[in-house]
Amino acid sequence: MRHDLVQRTTGWERFNHWLLALSFIVLVLTGFGFLYNSLNWLNTIFGGNQLAKEIHKWAGVVFTLSVLFTLGSYLGDSIRFTKEDYQWLSSLGGYLSKTTTEPPQGRLNAGQKLYYLLVVVLTGAVIIITGFILWFAQSTGWLRFGHFLHNLAFVVFVTTVPLHIYLSTAANPGTFRAMTRGTVTRAWVKRHHRKWAKEIGIE
Amino acid sequence: MALSETEKRRLSGVDIQTRKKGVLVRPDLCIGCRGCQTACKEWNKLPGDRTVNRGTYENPPDLTPNLYNKIRFVEVEEGGHLRWLFISQRCMHCTEAGCMKVCPAPGALYRTPEGAVAFNKKKCIGCRFCLAGCPFNIPRYDAEEKISKCHLCADRLAFGLEPACTKTCPTGALTFGDRDELIQMAKASGFEAVYGEKDLGGLGVLYAFKEFPSFYGLPDSPGLPASVAFWKSILKPLALIGLGGAVAAAAAHYITVGPKEPEEGGEE
Ligand code: HEM
Ligand code: SF4
Ligand code: SF4
Repeated sequence: MRHDLVQRTTGWERFNHWLLALSFIVLVLTGFGFLYNSLNWLNTIFGGNQLAKEIHKWAGVVFTLSVLFTLGSYLGDSIRFTKEDYQWLSSLGGYLSKTTTEPPQGRLNAGQKLYYLLVVVLTGAVIIITGFILWFAQSTGWLRFGHFLHNLAFVVFVTTVPLHIYLSTAANPGTFRAMTRGTVTRAWVKRHHRKWAKEIGIE
Repeated sequence: MALSETEKRRLSGVDIQTRKKGVLVRPDLCIGCRGCQTACKEWNKLPGDRTVNRGTYENPPDLTPNLYNKIRFVEVEEGGHLRWLFISQRCMHCTEAGCMKVCPAPGALYRTPEGAVAFNKKKCIGCRFCLAGCPFNIPRYDAEEKISKCHLCADRLAFGLEPACTKTCPTGALTFGDRDELIQMAKASGFEAVYGEKDLGGLGVLYAFKEFPSFYGLPDSPGLPASVAFWKSILKPLALIGLGGAVAAAAAHYITVGPKEPEEGGEE
């Protein structure tokens, strides 16, 4: 490895991340195809509504497994909230100004922790559980419960995941390679995760 | 389904109130002969359901995928007397049909030119959402999980025939006709309120009641299920607004504040 690079993710983490992203995209496209008559052509791409339903269900199974697999990688870091995390949140990660520097962050910053806990784990649990309810429920009560919460969680996902994609690509040059090559530069680590830099001894 | 101009006009909001076809149900005239129940099965070629004797003539106990129209028996004791009353239970062909609102497979449920809510099993994907959307617990699902329910004999209506049930009814407990005329008819017979006149944008199946609707097992003031109404007005539009808003916010951030560029001299 080049001396100026730092290993950010393991091969398994990257593989699982793209499993998550791919199943998610399939779920969102078919989901929109079912939600709006005007977007039903999306399901035509997946071979019609009948096939799209099967694809949606099984992509949901892949997504479920993939979310479970992320627990080992991110849950431990995410539930440990530190003083610096609150600082990060009160300055909104410095995203609203060109000059603010980021409070020193561990391997994951406060935003990533919240994204993981609130979106991936919490909303993920809601959309997964209600997905299985809709798959198997026969009673009006369960179907209404599932239909409502599945849609609510869908709104949360389609509103937050584009922000995650933006923040991990265009908004922070040098980040995307963490999920492709698995490495980031030392300069990137010092800039975005100074506490982690100290922990791994590069500062 | 391609609609002609007249059909489109018939289906547009205003016309549907005046031109929609319907059925007037008068439980007070029903003698519980179940001729309609049988005629429905005959016309729709629906096999019988195997049931057990439950100590009542009411049979089967509930709608099934093979039973679109069922006579519900109301057996109550009042002051030492037994009251034995009957009512036809079936799809109401709501103008604001909850089933159609939630159906994710366009064309699986559709509105006929006469204003009935009919179905196409070939397009149904068997998700059972329509049961969640229905205020009256009507849709049932066959062995292939496809929707089954009363379609007001859409195939007969298309040829100018009335539904099998109303055709058979010997007492006038079921009458088919123009919806607005049925309402006038009921009012002329002394019924002040007609169940379904205004509810859910106007039901296709109207009831002239001498009792409270709940006496017959119907909701006293029917409406879309709260979760479905909220979903329709807020959640459904919010999905696209949320996605668009997030993309717009990211783009706006990129061109105003801009990305966190690497520090000078630092390479990333
Ligand atoms: C297809 C578009 C996506 C892209 C381009 C993308 C990109 C990235 C990148 C570059 C990282 C590493 C960030 C870092 O190391 O600091 C990351 C992390 C992560 N991604 Fe994604 N991602 C996408 C979709 C998703 C989806 C759909 C989910 C879940 C629903 C997801 C969940 C996560 C999680 C939990 C992490 C680790 C914690 C975090 O960085 O927030 N990603 N992603
Ligand atoms: S079960 Fe069929 S008719 Fe009912 S909502 Fe689903 S696709 Fe539509
Ligand atoms: S009664 Fe139920 S199934 Fe019939 S039109 Fe109304 S919502 Fe649809």
